[in-house]
Amino acid sequence: MDNIASLMHGFSVALTMHHVLLMMLGVLLGILVGVLPGLGAPNGVTLLMPLTFSMDPISAIILLTSMYWGALFGGSTTSILFNIPGEPSSVATTFDGHPMAKQGRATEALTYAFLSAGFGALAGVVLITLLSGWVAKFALRFSSPEFFAVYFLAFASFIGLGGASPFKTVISIMLGFAFTAVGMDTVSGNVRLTYGFDELLRGISFLVAVIGLFGIGELLLTMEEGLRFEGVKARVSPRKVFETLLTLPRYWVTLLRSALIGCWMGITPGGPTAASFMSYGLAKRFARRPEGFGQGREEGVIAPETADHAAGSSAILPMLALGIPGSATAAVMMGGLMIWGLTPGPMLFIEAEGLRSGASSPRCTSAMSSPWCLCSPPCRCSPPSCACPSPSSGRSSSSSA
Amino acid sequence: MSTNERSLISRFAMEVVTGCIALLAGIVVVLGALEYEIGWDEAGPQPGYFPFYVGLIIIVASLGVLVQGFLNRSRTTGEAFLTREGFKRVMAFFLPLAAFTAGSYVLGLYVGTFVYLAGVMIFQGGYRWPFALTVAGGITVFFFVLFERWFQVPLLKGPLEAFLGIY
Repeated sequence: MDNIASLMHGFSVALTMHHVLLMMLGVLLGILVGVLPGLGAPNGVTLLMPLTFSMDPISAIILLTSMYWGALFGGSTTSILFNIPGEPSSVATTFDGHPMAKQGRATEALTYAFLSAGFGALAGVVLITLLSGWVAKFALRFSSPEFFAVYFLAFASFIGLGGASPFKTVISIMLGFAFTAVGMDTVSGNVRLTYGFDELLRGISFLVAVIGLFGIGELLLTMEEGLRFEGVKARVSPRKVFETLLTLPRYWVTLLRSALIGCWMGITPGGPTAASFMSYGLAKRFARRPEGFGQGREEGVIAPETADHAAGSSAILPMLALGIPGSATAAVMMGGLMIWGLTPGPMLFIEAEGLRSGASSPRCTSAMSSPWCLCSPPCRCSPPSCACPSPSSGRSSSSSA
Repeated sequence: MSTNERSLISRFAMEVVTGCIALLAGIVVVLGALEYEIGWDEAGPQPGYFPFYVGLIIIVASLGVLVQGFLNRSRTTGEAFLTREGFKRVMAFFLPLAAFTAGSYVLGLYVGTFVYLAGVMIFQGGYRWPFALTVAGGITVFFFVLFERWFQVPLLKGPLEAFLGIY
């Protein structure tokens, strides 16, 4: 099949020494960013993006996607050890992950988390690789009314599925539109909404908006809530990891179901957060023994993690094929792609075939390498136990299990 | 928010403020759009059309927020939006950051970075001043090398760089 051939070509592009090193660097940076509160995956990708301007697009995308996975996984680490979700999509992992850690099963919880994350991510990537060509062909038949309809569906679901007051969601969406209207109008050439400020001639830069809204806004919110840490120390030994790996196939139903939910929620504008909650809820509902959820059931970690990462991968598909980002990080990466001159949408598949397949395969390999990367530093530093870093003023507070 | 912390701004007050700010934003957008034609000509929508309706929707939604805020008044007046301690924590972070941004206009980004890092480390972090100055100086030099030499991206410079002859 044409897609498989492109995927193989992509692997040959991605598996060069230089790119593999970039992947490892990206995953490590991502884990660091994900573990620190206040800095999540969208912030981290935003902050790293200017560094990638000097690289070629494929290396840049490899670095950014690896960072994205690392950050998603770093968020799960703090959920399990500290009961502080590093990412909104890791909230569901705290329900059973932290109780497991408090019972002394932190290694198991972490291992289940990263193994199911890898599985979910692989499922998402396989799906988008197989579907992308078909979706792109379909999207080529799109013209203005169809694009309007898809965007309208996306915004309507933000308003409908969002938790906040619908009026506030509408204000946020419309403010976003208003920001893009500042500057020179591409259709008529008139300069709009600048009120005479020359600096606004080029409009409001995407990076400025994202760093201000996601970066500084999140940091201020974290400062307001105060940083308090009581963590659980976890000693990650390779033997325990391997033992846990062997027990994973027992939960194949949960894995498959969560992967499906994740893929679906990623493609439609549900996003990883909604996917993780939905998956946890369904796992609890369909479990043969529903008691124990919330006190340390393994499915309670496997289900949300798989769905979260599956959604995270498949959110890239509408971004690449239709130009509609399915999650915040997909939106930031879309901005990055546009800065490199690659406009996401059906034309991307025609113009930059190599780039697309080169972007899919690093996701496969970085999804597989991210658990490996997490395993190796702790393995090197065992027997000393591996306490997670705590931010600000060097205080490290931890309580034993 | 724990009930032990004293409330500075109630949720109700914040809802009203949000509604008013959004209303103001909508009015600004509409006024900006009215500088151009807001109708439709044979080539399609005129320049003011899109911003005008976007601004109009913002105005209507902000009125909706205000109405909702008043309808929920009884529930939200007791709810704390911002506590005194939270406000202090945010200000402790935000004020130095704002000073750094303003100061960078005058002093340049590198000197500003040095002053900000050293100041925050000494006064808020409680580090000893030799250590703080060393770390701040090291990071500033690292950024200089990173941006000026490696990335070849010139950043905003101030009087010190002009004095030293670095461009």
